[in-house]
Amino acid sequence: MQYSHTLSSAVAALIGLALVLTGCSGESAPAVNTQDKPRIVATTGMIADVAREIAGESAEVAQLMGAGVDPHLYAPTRTDIQKLMEADLVLYTGLLLEGRMTDTLVRAAGGERAVVAVTEHIDEADLLMPEGFEGHPDPHVWMDVGMWKHAADRIAEALVTIQPESEDDFNASLAAYQSRLDALDAYASDALGSIPESQRVLVTAHDAFNYMGRRYSLEVVGIQGISTESEAGVRDIERLVELLVSRQIPAVFVESTVAERNIRALVEGAKAKGHAVTIGGTLYSDAMGKGGTYEGTYIGMIDHNVTTIARALGGQAPAGGMQGKLGVQ
Amino acid sequence: MNQNEQAQSTSALTAHPEHSADSPLSVHALTVAYHRKPVLWDIDFDVPPASLMAIVGPNGAGKSTLIKACLGLIPAAAGEVEFWGEPLRRARSRIGYVPQRESVDWDFPVSALDVVSMGRYRKIGWFGRVSRAHKAAALECLERVGMQEFAHRQIGKLSGGQQQRVFLARALAQEADLYFMDEPFAGVDAATERAIIGVLRELQREGKTIICVHHDLQTVGSYFDHTLLLNMRVVAFGPTSRTLTQENLVKSYGGRLTLLEQASEAIAQMGPTR
Amino acid sequence: MNAQADTTSLVGIVVQTITELPRIFTGQASNTTVVVVASGLFGIAAGLVGVFALLRKRSLTADAIGHATLPGVAGAFIVGTMLGLPVREGPWLLVGAALAGAIGAWLIQLIAHRTRLNEDAAIGIVLSVFFGVGVVLLGVVQNMDSGTQGGLSTFIFGHTASMLAADAKSMAIIALFVLFVTLALRKQLTLVCFNDTYARATGWPVQLVDLLLLGLIILVSVAGLRAVGLLLVVAMIAIPAAAARFWSDHLGRIIAISAVIGGVAGSLGAAVSALAPGRPAGAVIVLTAGTLFALSMLCAPRRGLIAGAIVRVRSRLTILSDHTIETLWERSEEGTSPDMGPVRELPGGLRGKVVFLLLRLRGYVQSLGSAYALTPAGMAEGARLSRNHRLWSAYLTTHADIAPSHVDWSVDQVEHVLSDELVRTLERIVQLEDERA
Repeated sequence: MQYSHTLSSAVAALIGLALVLTGCSGESAPAVNTQDKPRIVATTGMIADVAREIAGESAEVAQLMGAGVDPHLYAPTRTDIQKLMEADLVLYTGLLLEGRMTDTLVRAAGGERAVVAVTEHIDEADLLMPEGFEGHPDPHVWMDVGMWKHAADRIAEALVTIQPESEDDFNASLAAYQSRLDALDAYASDALGSIPESQRVLVTAHDAFNYMGRRYSLEVVGIQGISTESEAGVRDIERLVELLVSRQIPAVFVESTVAERNIRALVEGAKAKGHAVTIGGTLYSDAMGKGGTYEGTYIGMIDHNVTTIARALGGQAPAGGMQGKLGVQ
Repeated sequence: MNQNEQAQSTSALTAHPEHSADSPLSVHALTVAYHRKPVLWDIDFDVPPASLMAIVGPNGAGKSTLIKACLGLIPAAAGEVEFWGEPLRRARSRIGYVPQRESVDWDFPVSALDVVSMGRYRKIGWFGRVSRAHKAAALECLERVGMQEFAHRQIGKLSGGQQQRVFLARALAQEADLYFMDEPFAGVDAATERAIIGVLRELQREGKTIICVHHDLQTVGSYFDHTLLLNMRVVAFGPTSRTLTQENLVKSYGGRLTLLEQASEAIAQMGPTR
Repeated sequence: MNAQADTTSLVGIVVQTITELPRIFTGQASNTTVVVVASGLFGIAAGLVGVFALLRKRSLTADAIGHATLPGVAGAFIVGTMLGLPVREGPWLLVGAALAGAIGAWLIQLIAHRTRLNEDAAIGIVLSVFFGVGVVLLGVVQNMDSGTQGGLSTFIFGHTASMLAADAKSMAIIALFVLFVTLALRKQLTLVCFNDTYARATGWPVQLVDLLLLGLIILVSVAGLRAVGLLLVVAMIAIPAAAARFWSDHLGRIIAISAVIGGVAGSLGAAVSALAPGRPAGAVIVLTAGTLFALSMLCAPRRGLIAGAIVRVRSRLTILSDHTIETLWERSEEGTSPDMGPVRELPGGLRGKVVFLLLRLRGYVQSLGSAYALTPAGMAEGARLSRNHRLWSAYLTTHADIAPSHVDWSVDQVEHVLSDELVRTLERIVQLEDERA
C-alpha cells in the first residue's frame, strides 16, 4: 500500500480541469468593447437582433443566450454577470421569461445602467393569462409579430435615452424595420391562413405558441406547459395522443430548445393507435436559429416557423419562405 | 543452500532433507514482507508425504502468513514454493484450505451443505450446476465431521465448533491430497476437537498430508508427527519429538519458561508419536 | 384538467389506479403501458444485481457509479456536438455514462488499494468529485451554441413520460442478460461474496468475478438513468435486495424475491406516478420500493421486527413463568406454607402481574386472596420442570466437555435428547445428591 504520486497528480489535474471549465462560458456572442460606442447587452437573441437592426453601427450589442439555449432554465454565469455590469443598457424580455435571472437583473438595475424589459409597455389586456398560472402572463410575446412591434418601439426608446444624439437615426431605422415586420405579419397571415380548417392545430413541445395561435387563428397545444421547468407526465402525452388521433392531425413539431423525447413518444403513441403522425419540422420557439444564418434573425425565425407549420399542416407556402432565404446558409 | 543446511543442522536435531519432488510441499528460501518489513525470512523446508505437520510459534511469528504465501494469497518477496515438484497453479486442484474462522459474514444466507458444496466448485467448473452427485459428496463430507444433521441449517445458527467442522468438511469436499489449515482447533469445544483430529488422522491414513497452524503447545505432541517451529525464520523443523525441545522452544518463544518447560517435559515423556 | 382535481387526494389516486390499471394492461393506454413495463423490467434487473451487490458490500459503490455518470453524459454531449455527431439520437450519451461510471469504479479501487484511505472514503471522494465535474459540464453545455441541448438534466431525476417501445425492448434485453449472467455465474458470485480468501486460495479469479459484478452494476445503473435518474438508481439496487433478505435464509429464494420486489416497485411505482401527474416517476418508484422494504422489515415472519419482538417477548415470558412455577414447587416441596405472598425470587411489578395472569390462564396457579398457590396441574408441571433442570445439571457435571451442544433447557423431556440409559444414570446421580442433602 504505497502512496501513489501519479494518483495525486491525476486528482490535481482533475481539479485544474474543473477550474478551467468554470471559466469557460462557451460560445455566446462575444462582447466587443470599444470606448465610444455604448454597450448594450440583451438576454435573448430576438431582442438582440431587433436592437442591432435599430442601432446599426452606433452601439455594440451582445446577447447572453445563443441558439438552442432555453431562457426558462438559463442561469447566468460569472462572465454573463460581468457583461451585464459593464453594459450601458440591459434589455430583457420580462414577464418572467428569464425565470432564473431575476436576482441578477435586479442587481444590474441597481447601478448606473438602464435595465429595460422590452415588454414593459404592452397593455396587460393584450397579454394571455394561461389557466392555473395565477397572474403570471404567458411571456412568449415575440410569436405575435404585432406585439413584437411594440417591443421594437420600446427598444428604440431605450436606445434614445442612452444615445440621444442618434435619435433621428434610430427612428428612421425603427420605421424601416417596422415596415419589414408588417410584411412578415402579412406573410404569416396568408401562409397560416391557407391551412385547411380541420387541420388548424399546432402541437409542439411546450406552450410557446399561444400568441401565434391567437393572432393567426390556430389551435395551439404544448406537451409541457408555459415553462419548460415543469416536466410532462405520461398522462399528458396520452391525452395529446387522443387529440391527434381523434382530430387526425397530420404533423407535430419539435423545438430547437427542447428535447425531442416527448414528441417522439407522442408520435409512437399515435402510431400504436393506427394514426401516422409526422414530425413537421423543428421550430424556433424560445431562441432563434444559428447565429450568422437567416434563421438567426427575428424575421428569419418567424419566417421559418410560419413556413414550416404551413407546409406541414397542408397549407400553401413557398419552400424558401417569405424572401426565398430559408435554408440558405 | 548449503549454508542454510549447515545453519539448520546446528539448531535442529534432524538433518534437513533435500528438496524432493515427492514432497507435497517444498519451500525454498521464502521471504515475505509487509510494508517493506520482512515478516518471514528465508524459510526453507520439505514436508514429508503423508505427515501431519504443525506450524507452531509465538504470536506474530508469521504462521498464517506462511500458509497464505504458499497459497499465493500474499506475494512473496523471494523464494520458491513447489508442490510435488510443480508450481502452485498446476497443483491447485490437489490442495485444500481451511481458513481462520473470523473472515466470514455469518449472516450470509447459505446452509452448511451450501458451504461444503463450495469445495466442489472447482470440480464442477465455471458453468456447471451443483448436481445431485456433488450434493451427495458434500453430504458425505458433512457426515465425516459429524455434522450431517445440520446440513440445512444456516451457518450463523451453528456454534463455533460446528462452524469449524463445516469449513473442514468444505476442504474435504475438494478431495485434495494436501490440506492447509489455519488454527483449526482455535476456540472449539472438546468434542469438536476430538472429531477434527479424528478426521485428520483418517486423512493421514489415506495418504494425505496435512499442515496446520496450531496454537496449543500442550497438544502438539499428541496430534502432530512433524513440527515446524517458526519465529519469522525457521527455528527448527522435523519430527515433533526432536524439534520441540526446551532449547528450541526458548529460541522461539523467549521468556515465559514455566509453561514451556511443562510442555516440553510432557512431550518428552510421551516419546515419539505413532 | 378535471383529472388533476381527482388525483390530488390519496383516495383519488387509489380510485384512479384501480380504474386505470385494466386500461394500462390491455394496451389502451399504450404510452403508460410502455412506461410501466420498462420500469418493471428495470426493477427486476436491479433486484437481481442488488442481491450480489449487497452481499459483496458494494451497494454504496453503486451510488458512486450513479453519480459518476453525470460527467459522462454531459461530456459525451459536448464531445459529440464538437464532432458533429447527432448526439441525441442513438446511445452516445448512455455510452458516455457507462464509461464515466466505469472510470469512477476503477478510481475507487485505485484509491482504496493504493493509498492509505479506505473504501468508504474513496467512494465519497469519487462520488462528489465526479458529480461536481458533471454539474460544471452541464453549465458548459448550457452555454454551447449548438441548438440541440436541453433535457440533459432529466438524467438526474429520470424521465419516464417519454419512454418509447424501444426503451422497453432494450430494458427487456438488459433484464434477460442480467438474469442469464447471475444464473450462469451464481456459484462464483456466491463464493466470492461469501469468502473471497477461500475463493482465491482454490484458484478462482476473484478480481475477474468482482469486475463482472461491477460491470453488471454499471449496466443496471445506466439502464436506470431513464427510469429513476442517476441520483436514485442506487436505491433500486440496494432496497429490493435488502427487503428480500428479511423473507428467507436461502440465497436462491432471496434472489427471486428481490427480483419480484424490484419488478413490483418499478411497475407499480411507474403506474401510480403516471396516474398522479406532477409527481416524478423516479421518486414514486423509489418510495414504493421503500414501502415494500418497510413492510418486509416489520412483517416478515421470523426475520421481521414484529416477529422478532414476539419471539423475544414469548421466550422471556416462558422463562419467567417456568422459573416461577419451579420456585413455587420447590417451596411447596420444602414444606413452606403454600400461601405465598410477594417473594423475592418471584417477578414483581408489571411483569409479575403478566406472568401470574398467564399462569392463571393456563391453570397452573390460583389466587388465594393476596397470594398465589399452585394447582394440582401446576404441581405436576413444577415437578417436571425441576426434574429436567436437575438432570441437565447432572449431565453438565459429568459430560462437561460435550454438554454445551446438547443441553436444551427448554425441551419437554430430557429423554427427547438423551438416551434412556443415560437418563437413568443421571437420575441416580440426582438421587444420590438428594440423599446427601
